[in-house]
Amino acid sequence: MKKLVISAALVIAFFTFSCNDEEWLERDPQNIISDEQLWNDPALINSLMANYYNRLPTLLGVFNTGGMTETDEAMWSGHWDSNWHNNFEYGDNYGSYWDYGFIRDINLALDNIDQYSTDISEEQKALYQSELRFIRAFVYFELVKRMGGVPLVTEQLIYDYSGDPSNLQIPRSKEYEVYDFIYDELEAIKGSLAANNASKTRANTYVALALESRAMLYAGSLAKYNNLMSASISLPGEEVGIPADMADGYYTKSLAASQEIINSGAYALYDLNPDKATNFYEMLIEKSSSEVIFAKDYELSLKTHSFTYENIPRTLSEDNEKQCMISPSLSLVESFEYLDGSEGTLQTMDSDGNYIVYDEIDDIFDNKDPRLAGTVLYGGSSFKGAPLSILAGVADWNEDTQSYDFLTSPNLGGNYETDAGGDGGLMTGFDGPKDNTQNVSNTGFYLRKFVSEGPGASIRGVLADNWWPWFRAGEIYLNATEAAYELGQEGIALEYINAVRERAGFEANSLTSLSNDIIRHERRVELAFEDHRYFDLKRWRVAHEIWNGDQNDDNAMVRGIYPYRIVRPGHPDNNKYIYRRIEPTRFMRARFFRFANYYSLIDQGILNNNPLLVKNPFH
Amino acid sequence: MKIRNLYIVGLLAGLLFTSCENYDNFDEPNAMLSGRVVYEGEAVGVRNNGARFELWQDGYELNKSIEVYIAQDGTYSASLFNGEYKMVRIAGAPWEAALQDTLVINVNGGTTYDVPVTPYFTIENASFENQGTTINTSFTVNQVVEETGLQSVNVYFGTKYLTDSNYNASVYHVDLETVTPGTANSIAIDVPENLSDREYVFMRIGVRSNSSNEYYYTPVEKIYL
Repeated sequence: MKKLVISAALVIAFFTFSCNDEEWLERDPQNIISDEQLWNDPALINSLMANYYNRLPTLLGVFNTGGMTETDEAMWSGHWDSNWHNNFEYGDNYGSYWDYGFIRDINLALDNIDQYSTDISEEQKALYQSELRFIRAFVYFELVKRMGGVPLVTEQLIYDYSGDPSNLQIPRSKEYEVYDFIYDELEAIKGSLAANNASKTRANTYVALALESRAMLYAGSLAKYNNLMSASISLPGEEVGIPADMADGYYTKSLAASQEIINSGAYALYDLNPDKATNFYEMLIEKSSSEVIFAKDYELSLKTHSFTYENIPRTLSEDNEKQCMISPSLSLVESFEYLDGSEGTLQTMDSDGNYIVYDEIDDIFDNKDPRLAGTVLYGGSSFKGAPLSILAGVADWNEDTQSYDFLTSPNLGGNYETDAGGDGGLMTGFDGPKDNTQNVSNTGFYLRKFVSEGPGASIRGVLADNWWPWFRAGEIYLNATEAAYELGQEGIALEYINAVRERAGFEANSLTSLSNDIIRHERRVELAFEDHRYFDLKRWRVAHEIWNGDQNDDNAMVRGIYPYRIVRPGHPDNNKYIYRRIEPTRFMRARFFRFANYYSLIDQGILNNNPLLVKNPFH
Repeated sequence: MKIRNLYIVGLLAGLLFTSCENYDNFDEPNAMLSGRVVYEGEAVGVRNNGARFELWQDGYELNKSIEVYIAQDGTYSASLFNGEYKMVRIAGAPWEAALQDTLVINVNGGTTYDVPVTPYFTIENASFENQGTTINTSFTVNQVVEETGLQSVNVYFGTKYLTDSNYNASVYHVDLETVTPGTANSIAIDVPENLSDREYVFMRIGVRSNSSNEYYYTPVEKIYL
């Protein structure tokens, strides 16, 4: 018993004394990185920045295959389950975006650098803070172009648990105030971003200028074209609607930013491959390209994307499941003009209403703007060095009716063999096109732009690592063209647009005069599938006219064009090709853009939380 | 053993039939609000599912509107609970928005309520007369709202009853220079080639002001060719 008492006393004594030293209990957690650790370790900060860069918003870009089939550039030809891409109307909430969680993360990071960073140099701190402010400006640009003026929150909003959240409720700023904020921020940080000038995946001086160039162009055209509408879209508090007299100021700022980039010599229109079509394709694929200003990068085994798996032509897919989700539209293909400057309409019939017979399947595309072949694939195209097998069917000459019978094979790759004969040659290509079918082109075209030729890029498990260009020199040249033209400086504007066209494969000075239509057309063909079309039509206030919802309208509908092989033994036309315009069965509803779509819906939940917010027009 | 099994089956079956009766915690809506969209007593024709109203009900912590779409002949209906609702005539329709001018509707059982609106333009005295290869179309465009402009007047041919600016077989765009609001117009329109061998077509006329992207339509008429 005595022994027990002694030992108990000893144990108690041990505990009483040993805890005296409080530091002994202070342990750094093994599974949490503290703010002090994070904000003093450049490696950790970089990985946090990578997360933020990865969250840069986009609507139809960054390899968003489904999104790319929601404009007049393409239709959906993947699985039936997603045929709604071909059968929908832009809802009031189409493109709604309200990511104040991200804004808050950025504001918090900005505060934390100030509070915790002690071990890193002032220059490094300034660089990180400038990058964060760039990302914030980028997010605000995405917000303002979709939603109009939004609440400008530039510091953390902290609730005080008083029961009254009204100090957290911030009203919407005017639309132009948000654009001005973006401009002021970018002007303030562009100097300190110079340390990143060698990088194409982190914000640097030129990336800030590129965003300035785009944002100011948007603000200028909104100020101008919104007020030219017969009933301009605006709110009394100017949350939507920029006064017309601000247009010139914005265009001037945009032009200045574009020219600073162009004149710096840091980037150039990519022009290394004499094959202009391949040159145009490589421009966005080659990571050494002088074209790209700012990109979202991918790397095999680390971070890949499935865009090639989803869109590579059927026969070239290395995966056991074929996808072929994007079928580019005929209206896009025809918007690429001929090299002599004439309109790009494809010629299927002569003036007498007879089919034009082409010796080779791709002769119909002869003398088109080489960017067409750099953007889409069609009958006669090759990809990864292999020719595509594109043929819709045969046009069998019927002596009785003196016309062609158009016949297609039930199976892709089927030959023309029937009880009555048939010549045994190819009937329908392994790559289609085939109407009303999934996982094969429905329009006659496949996508080439952004589809990687890398080994294994179309296999799930390997996938592709080509990057997504947020900004590139071609866009900056066209931004400069548009801004200069709007400012009445047609000479400068011509210089820039002709540079883009010369790189594309046109002769030098191929344009001698400009119009809005020419500039807008050039943007459509140069920047197809790069998440510009939707927003360009919006800011020019023509989206409701082009996407008018009319089921008979060739621009609002996605159409196709199919090649047929002539079967007419003994006749010189035998085994030659004719083309037929078709209306894909799977494409069901014309693109329909209403006034309500110029600014997206602010969700009722957001309005309930903040009674100071006003609704967008038409909602 | 067999009898016990039978009991169990009986019990389970009993559970199945009784258990769910009391646990559906909401009744289904039992009132129906229906009516027409009217201007001067006449129903206003629209594009099917094009224009809409919003219904709001006060007294709840959070607000959420009920969308009420309008059929092409200008009728609407909504399945609701009894109570007081506020109807808002929002923009995006062929009539003027009346955001401040809420209509209070008491819904009790089957309720009929005609919603008065002010269209920018209307079309009166529309008539179609088959002349063989042409259709004599006459109509009068009326301007209702002063401060708006005429954007387009179209005559639609359709193969289906649902015919409007989106779904149609052919459109005839009326030359706006020939249209004076308040004066009767008469045009002989050729029957479109793609419809000429049909037994009948559906026709209606639409007028759009430049303040809206929706048309005001006349009632659909079936014209035998």
